[in-house]
Amino acid sequence: MRKIVSCSLRAMAWLASAAVAAAAHAHHSTAEFDYTTQLTIQGTVKEVQWTNPHSYIQLIVEEEGKPPVEWSVEIGSPAINTALGWKKTSVKRGDKVTMLLSPARNGKPYGTLRKLTFEDGRELIGVAGSMRSPPPALAPATPAQGK
Amino acid sequence: MRRLALCLLPLLALQLAACGARPDDAAKVTRSPDDLLGIWVPDAAPRELTANGAPPPLTEDAAAIYAEHKQRYAAGDSGYDPTTWCAGPGLPRIFTMAYPFEIRRSGDYLAFIYGWYRWFRVVHLDGPEITEIPTPTTLGYSVGRFEGDTLVIRTVGLIDTTVMDAHGLPHSDQLVITEQLRVLPDGRLENRMTFEDPETFTRPWETVLTFHRDPSARVTDDVCPDRLAAGEPAERVPPEGTTVAASPAPASAPAAPASSASEGAAPTTPRLAGLWEPKFFGILVPEAKFSPLGQQIVDRNAKEMASGRIMHTAWTSCRPGAISTMTMPRERILVMESPEEITILYEMPRMVRRIRMNAEHPQNLEPSYVGDSVGRWEGDTLVVDTIGFNGYGELGAHGQPTSPQLHTVERFTRAADGTLDIEVIITDPEYYSEPVRIKRGWKPSESRLPQEYDCMENPREEDFENAYYMRDRYRPVCARVAGKGMELSRMVCGKWE
Repeated sequence: MRKIVSCSLRAMAWLASAAVAAAAHAHHSTAEFDYTTQLTIQGTVKEVQWTNPHSYIQLIVEEEGKPPVEWSVEIGSPAINTALGWKKTSVKRGDKVTMLLSPARNGKPYGTLRKLTFEDGRELIGVAGSMRSPPPALAPATPAQGK
Repeated sequence: MRRLALCLLPLLALQLAACGARPDDAAKVTRSPDDLLGIWVPDAAPRELTANGAPPPLTEDAAAIYAEHKQRYAAGDSGYDPTTWCAGPGLPRIFTMAYPFEIRRSGDYLAFIYGWYRWFRVVHLDGPEITEIPTPTTLGYSVGRFEGDTLVIRTVGLIDTTVMDAHGLPHSDQLVITEQLRVLPDGRLENRMTFEDPETFTRPWETVLTFHRDPSARVTDDVCPDRLAAGEPAERVPPEGTTVAASPAPASAPAAPASSASEGAAPTTPRLAGLWEPKFFGILVPEAKFSPLGQQIVDRNAKEMASGRIMHTAWTSCRPGAISTMTMPRERILVMESPEEITILYEMPRMVRRIRMNAEHPQNLEPSYVGDSVGRWEGDTLVVDTIGFNGYGELGAHGQPTSPQLHTVERFTRAADGTLDIEVIITDPEYYSEPVRIKRGWKPSESRLPQEYDCMENPREEDFENAYYMRDRYRPVCARVAGKGMELSRMVCGKWE
């Protein structure tokens, strides 16, 4: 049974990735993010902005001896997120999560989500994580500052 | 005597059926869906909903929220109401706005096409109750049925970020709305709405809104962000104590769609009606051959994007033109068909396109985002010709521009296997040296209802330094400002540079 589930999940993920790749093209350029870089951050969810055309998770990241930093992480539109298995209430204020993301090129605490992991190990895939290949390079890969 | 006659009516209907009248005919006697169709203008635009004159029975917590919203409203701050920044008003708020709306029906679908910012709402007629809600939306998920001459609609899955009236009456996502729509003896439309939401209200309550006909009323392509940019409020509100005037049609506006009566009286076999979804997802804009001017613009865009800037087009600023429905859609479309008009409701980008059948383009067209579409049948192919664009619209995310010279011809053909082929030829000599051709395949959707796309301009304050606007018109008026510490963000409308 488990095998069947995982198989159909894979099929769904493939379909979703195809959908998302098209959507990523349709909406806006993705030049702001450096898809060649992956970064992991951990923190507490301050807010989920479940809005079109883009949704965001605001994450407060605390490191010892440093002031807290608020990250903005893009998570796609509600329709795309729903196709990827999210619900509006999947991530809530106060949740402690780990996020794998591709950061913005401008070095600001901003990025696009590849994968979100809850404390109990559950995972949610982000738009960038669902794409089989990064979007065509519209921009030269300027190294992200401060990463 | 009258009472006796009323009592006998159902018996008469039964008798007619028994005497050999077809069941359909009997249904027409007792169910008058066509009476509801056509354009309606609100009798009033109430700022506050009442339970038939009394305050809504709010719980203590909800009452405190409502009181706070009212205080803010009195101080000129409507920041609790998403309509302020052109986001979806939701139910029942959209019925409290001073804008006409049209009710259209096609097969099992009944649509409310609202005059405020391209909103539409689709009701699945005689469908089973909705038990699974993929994601809550501003207008929710609606199923309707006729009970005699009354249309009863039940709506669930309403997102809790909207308010129920302009003063900010709150609700939770547990809200269930039951509407009873019927035409009153005086010809007005009555919507008797019952609200159930145990998280917000101590008991179910009811309000009644009424609407009238006005032959001059039109449901036009309203683009809210443009009104904000022009310094107008997102919602036009008539002065207190006055009745709602129908929005006058522009001088060049085409004739109103067929009246409800003729719509019902001239049945033809619908050929394209129904809910469709793309057969496959893919990149839909092929390589275009640009004119020197077109090339200059796409090169400039590419350079800006190459420097890492976020490019904003009509699409991302929530003003897509009809061209976006031809080049970018990857979501469902609902085709509603009558002999005089084919209406296409696009899920994403959210848009209503009207195709007047066997009609001519008017002489003096007012340029618009959707243009003017006329259609004709060539055998089994629907051919749609569209001109009258305003030049604000791009073919894709690379910012391939369009000009007012844009001219599109779409050919919709039902294939033998029941799928739908759509071929589009885009001509715009200002920016393209050759016509751009796109072919796409659609199939009947397995979904019952289209998904809602509540596009709102929500650039974030921190994005501005990195944003590149293809056109000045796409600059937003409202933006999301991050809260300090654990404070929530909020939308702020004003001057953003």
